[in-house]
Amino acid sequence: MTALAPIRLSSRVRKNQGVLVVAVLLVILLIFGAFISDRFRTTSNILNIFEQSTGLALVSLGQTLAILTGGIDLSVGSMISLLSTLTSGLIAGKVSMVPPVAIGILLLGLLIGICNGLLIIWLRVHPLIVTLGMSAVLQGIVLLYSLGPAGSVPPSFNFLAYGKVLGLPIGAVFILVLFLLVALFLRYARLGRYIYAVGDDEVGARLMGLPRARVMLTVYGFSGFCCGLAAIYLTSRFSVGQPYTGLNYTLASITPVVVGGTLLSGGKGGVFGTLLGVYLISLLNNVLNFMDVSMHYQLIAQGLIVIAAVSVYVEKKKRV
Amino acid sequence: MSNISRRFAMLLVGAAGLAALAAPVLAQDAKFYSGAPRTYLYNPDTDVCFKDTSQYKKEGPYTIGFSNAGLGDSWRVVMLHSMEASAAKHKDQIKKLIITDAGHDDAKQVADIQDLISRGVDLLIVSANTQQALDPAVSQAMAAGIPVVMVDRRVASDNFVTFVTASDAMMGRLFAQWIVEKLGGKGNVIMLAGQAGSSPSENREKPAREVFAQYPGIKVLETVYSDWSPVKGKQVMQAMIAKYGKQINAVWSAHGLQTPGSIEAFIEAGYKDGEIPPHTTADVNGPLQMAIEHKVPMLEVGYPPAMGGISVDVALQVLAGAPVPCIYTINSQIAVSEGDNTPSIETPLRLTDLVVPKGAPDMLITGGMGPDYDPKTFKVDYPQ
Repeated sequence: MTALAPIRLSSRVRKNQGVLVVAVLLVILLIFGAFISDRFRTTSNILNIFEQSTGLALVSLGQTLAILTGGIDLSVGSMISLLSTLTSGLIAGKVSMVPPVAIGILLLGLLIGICNGLLIIWLRVHPLIVTLGMSAVLQGIVLLYSLGPAGSVPPSFNFLAYGKVLGLPIGAVFILVLFLLVALFLRYARLGRYIYAVGDDEVGARLMGLPRARVMLTVYGFSGFCCGLAAIYLTSRFSVGQPYTGLNYTLASITPVVVGGTLLSGGKGGVFGTLLGVYLISLLNNVLNFMDVSMHYQLIAQGLIVIAAVSVYVEKKKRV
Repeated sequence: MSNISRRFAMLLVGAAGLAALAAPVLAQDAKFYSGAPRTYLYNPDTDVCFKDTSQYKKEGPYTIGFSNAGLGDSWRVVMLHSMEASAAKHKDQIKKLIITDAGHDDAKQVADIQDLISRGVDLLIVSANTQQALDPAVSQAMAAGIPVVMVDRRVASDNFVTFVTASDAMMGRLFAQWIVEKLGGKGNVIMLAGQAGSSPSENREKPAREVFAQYPGIKVLETVYSDWSPVKGKQVMQAMIAKYGKQINAVWSAHGLQTPGSIEAFIEAGYKDGEIPPHTTADVNGPLQMAIEHKVPMLEVGYPPAMGGISVDVALQVLAGAPVPCIYTINSQIAVSEGDNTPSIETPLRLTDLVVPKGAPDMLITGGMGPDYDPKTFKVDYPQ
């Protein structure tokens, strides 16, 4: 190893936005898993991994856009807790309540996200602080609403999380479509390109008269909307919403974003990297389970991956 | 299941199974109770819910998966160790015991259960992180034909073969009845509960209150919450002693975790050895050490982590196709301080039989792991 190697690697990575590295890691893990166990290779196991990635993928999608603008959304965990508790609480076991509640939850997620955006614009406070504050507010609200699991959902509601269409898990297929749509939006819509511009050089973007407010409202609103989707999905998976359901998702949602090559400083990256990052983490957990590695090492492995990813992708000029 | 004679036959087979099972690890001393579960034998109901497990009958050796909610406190560590020890004991029948730990995360535990099913386990033992969130995953395992034995924490629905647990209600009642009889039906009690709203605490408090209510001479001065912590337990008892002083005639404590804090509070308030009012406790070494040293009348009724090991025994019973009770309530060892048997709580076991005199105060003594057990150094060669 020469001293130059990591630098060369990092510049190449930047060009390919990390997607390639994660893809290679994915393949290596798949081959590795296949060697460990015959059962790893079974279709049902691979579909399981695909299915298990759905919740994380939904949250990370919104998070990717927030991070692309140079911000971050730390309210996602509490938002999911609130929205999923409301989902089962308001459906209260009635099939007829499912459509109105689902629509309401998605709108509420959107609304909370827009509130985040407005606060960021008006107060000119860093999104980290605004969304952290929002997170505490939302956690308080959900605990006022219910101290434990609230309401219930009809058994057929589980179909969203465990159902299959043409042998493929519904949620996981939905994810593929959703990521594709967002990728197209980022690439071809004018607003999509502004997201990169604001994250790349906020001052420059302002000087050029880019609509920063609209960008902020879009990304945080979308992140809230994604939390609504995740909340509905998780309520289906657990058959109930609880005031701490989303707790782990705040930090977890950042991992696939940075692993997928999106810079924490904003402006570079994309949603495909995030999707591969999500698959990498689901696959890693599955392989470690097959290897009988205790979950304590699984945590360590995930933490090290985040640090490694950030250090590989970080831009030289922004290094401290 | 309307066929009465069939049910009766199942009951007989089940009872035989229970008796065979119930000679667990604790039988090192004749004073220890090693019989069939008392709650089963003394149950006055003619109909006891039994599950037919003939559909799960399988030739061994078996691969058993254990999806644990998480570790994080000493009770759960001993529970896990007792399970490993039991798997080691049944090496001839168990090919592999695969253990996953969800770190108290519902999403991870659902994925763990799915992964264990992918790995082709013959039976799943599950200690559910939360009752409802794990319900769909456990129900799906059952629907896929994989029998699930719950241990310590069940899911909300009845979609499992059996639930291995101890009785909170029995603990609460025995504690209260002993206090009533120790006080001769007259006196003031402080209820030192666990965490407000937590089910183990509430399920012990309510039956205890019902016992106290039957004796007009008994007054519950106050119910205070310790959050299962000796530090918090000490604080709240200091407040109670300041408020009521010598009016306090007994302390009903929902578990042994907070009992040492209460006894310390009495010692620091100037109570001499032999003056401290009667206390109740469970599972923890420290309160027994203190009771012996400071001559505190004490009743111990455990919520034994030995249920981990027993869940493996029950799992093997299921895979052998023998009927099992729908809820499997394991025995607690009942011990009192010397001379403190009462008409209702009559036990040959003394605190001195249970205590590990030189052991750590926070050690659990009801894991059925034998006198040399040390959770820090424990290692057993179980099939993995």
